[in-house]
Amino acid sequence: MISAQVAKGCLEELTAISKVEFCIQDTNGQVFARTDNAEAPDAEMIASFCRSSVDSQIIGDRYLLKIMEDDDIAFTLTAIGSSDYTLMVARMAVSEISNLMQAYKEKYDRNNFFQNLLLDNLLLVDIHNRAKKLHINVTVPRAVILFEIQSEGDDTLAGDLLNGIFTVHNGDYLTEVDENSVILIKAVDSVEAYDQLQDAAQVAVDMLNTEAMLSVKAAYGTIVDDLRNLSKSYKEARMAMDVGRIFYAEKSVTSYNELGIGRLIYQLPSNLCHVFINEVFGDNVPDDLDNETLSTINTFFENNLNVSETSRKLFIHRNTLVYRIEKLQKSTGLDIRNFDDALTFKIALMVMNYLRYLNEKDY
Amino acid sequence: MASLNLEHIYKKYPNGFEAVKDFNLDIADKEFIIFVGPSGCGKSTTLRMIAGLEDISSGTLKIDGKVMNDVEPKDRDIAMVFQNYALYPHMTVYDNMAFGLKLRKVPKDEIDKMVRNAAKILDLTQLLDRKPKALSGGQRQRVAMGRAIVRNPKVFLMDEPLSNLDAKLRVQMRSEIAKLHQRLGTTIIYVTHDQTEAMTLGTRIVVMKDGVIQQVDTPQHLYDAPSNLFVAGFMGSPQMNFIDAVVKVSGNQACLTVDGKDIPLNAEKSKALIDGGYDGKNVIMGIRPEDISDRLDGDPGEVLFDAKINVYELLGAEVFLYFDIAGTPMTARVDPKTSARPGSSVKFELDTDKIHVFDKETEKTITN
Repeated sequence: MISAQVAKGCLEELTAISKVEFCIQDTNGQVFARTDNAEAPDAEMIASFCRSSVDSQIIGDRYLLKIMEDDDIAFTLTAIGSSDYTLMVARMAVSEISNLMQAYKEKYDRNNFFQNLLLDNLLLVDIHNRAKKLHINVTVPRAVILFEIQSEGDDTLAGDLLNGIFTVHNGDYLTEVDENSVILIKAVDSVEAYDQLQDAAQVAVDMLNTEAMLSVKAAYGTIVDDLRNLSKSYKEARMAMDVGRIFYAEKSVTSYNELGIGRLIYQLPSNLCHVFINEVFGDNVPDDLDNETLSTINTFFENNLNVSETSRKLFIHRNTLVYRIEKLQKSTGLDIRNFDDALTFKIALMVMNYLRYLNEKDY
Repeated sequence: MASLNLEHIYKKYPNGFEAVKDFNLDIADKEFIIFVGPSGCGKSTTLRMIAGLEDISSGTLKIDGKVMNDVEPKDRDIAMVFQNYALYPHMTVYDNMAFGLKLRKVPKDEIDKMVRNAAKILDLTQLLDRKPKALSGGQRQRVAMGRAIVRNPKVFLMDEPLSNLDAKLRVQMRSEIAKLHQRLGTTIIYVTHDQTEAMTLGTRIVVMKDGVIQQVDTPQHLYDAPSNLFVAGFMGSPQMNFIDAVVKVSGNQACLTVDGKDIPLNAEKSKALIDGGYDGKNVIMGIRPEDISDRLDGDPGEVLFDAKINVYELLGAEVFLYFDIAGTPMTARVDPKTSARPGSSVKFELDTDKIHVFDKETEKTITN
């Protein structure tokens, strides 16, 4: 539904151009919007005009016109003046307001359509019919980019800003299904255009950072070539967001196609994860590895298990590093200088991360 | 205008990855500070922590003496310019610059004043009515900067703002940014991996590697007196030549033996090596390409290295000669009038006062 503010803005612009004053009232005579110098007719006059079968009436020095919506009277418009010029301008105003109402209705319908589509609330047969009615091309390659807003602020800021970059004109559409996220349905050139998708996500994140000063993470699903599969892309984006949060927290954009080993672990049932951790560590689960040990292990892995390179990177003596690795071996039974043990340890750390996430989620 | 204090700042992600380790830095008002380092060294993460876009795991961030750790990004009075910027395609330059302010519900007349003022600073006044597609790459970049300037922030944060531009435009925009800093008189923190950008723009440079600050200094001092092998190699193009050497001490005189030749060092460098107990030890000798000169012949007693030229690169005002000493590739930056050509044998002299010596194990500088 068109807002009173939008209607008032439209009337004021028309008045500035034509010098004709306007007033919009509902069928009960309640004023919906009016310009500064327009006097509203009383409710009885409006009711009588609504009951009549004519489209317009001249009463005294003002014209009354009906604004229709789907064959019903939505509002009446009063234009102050009795000349032909006033009538012409009044008709233009009615046309403008009707078009705005139609556009807003379509926008609302589109939003509703996309929300239901993403949440799998539509029957397959309905998707095609409703898309056609809303002038949405069914076979354009599209993907869902999900933006999760992590800082406090104006709820509408992110949506407003993204609306400025990704326009319906380019086949993109923005919607929301919860408070903390904004969903961009992005049209791309082909089902292979993942670079385009990555660029769009990165640009959007940087824009939200710089323009709105919002801390944001983005994740996107695979590109689908049919509107009916869009909910799949949405679910993938959601999963990519979750996996990214657990395993790749340093990344601002996560792609469903590049989740690596994190994807495998994310799909494991928690009891299996516990069995694995028990098998690896037994009773010596290193729940709280201190910063120093964790940093040592990570740097050792980053440097391909090379002791000299790792000690140089950590600014420690080689023997200190060897001592730390052996201390870890004593407590866990795994010698991370050995490839198999290193692999097991790396996966075990990721699984522990995942279990920690599950615990926090339960709380 | 603002000063910043970063005290023992750490960034550690839940997966254990430590992106920034014990970052300590005081930034004075109106400074142009550059964070430079290879990809993944933690420079952007540090910048994002200052902006509030990343949480600080531990440590304290102060702006003008006020602790900012828990202050929302929008309330830090900071503006940012990142490498990935988008202009709103259907809006004019004016509206592009005003959009962020409109979203923040700033009054119209104030927006107008701010946009026109920023446009004047950036020389965009004539272009305010144009749409982005009618602008050149440099003009678009200036509009992106304009969006930050209109906010009149205390601190500007720039994360590789020029990396998407072509080489020519980059040079042009570099000088624009330098001028902008002079005009605005604001504190700027600028992230880049390009050491030329760092050297030309910064009042001070912070060199980072693996999340750790390697050195903080003025561009000239950083170039002349690097604190370790990494900084020495990172700053300067072509990079500093490094070659293995052995220290030989006799009395108060230290020499570096390279490829069977003894290179005598001056008193200051000799003292540093002798005091450090490096006699007979392996070290790394560093020398910048401009400190090596080519000679047709030499006087008896001079230390000259004979080498065959592998590659000759003429750059107009200078020539780079590539050759090997003891199997180590070396580069010399010489006069374009040189007669050396690929395949020819040339004698090279090192400016021994400009030799740097590094500890082979710790890679720290012994003497510059």
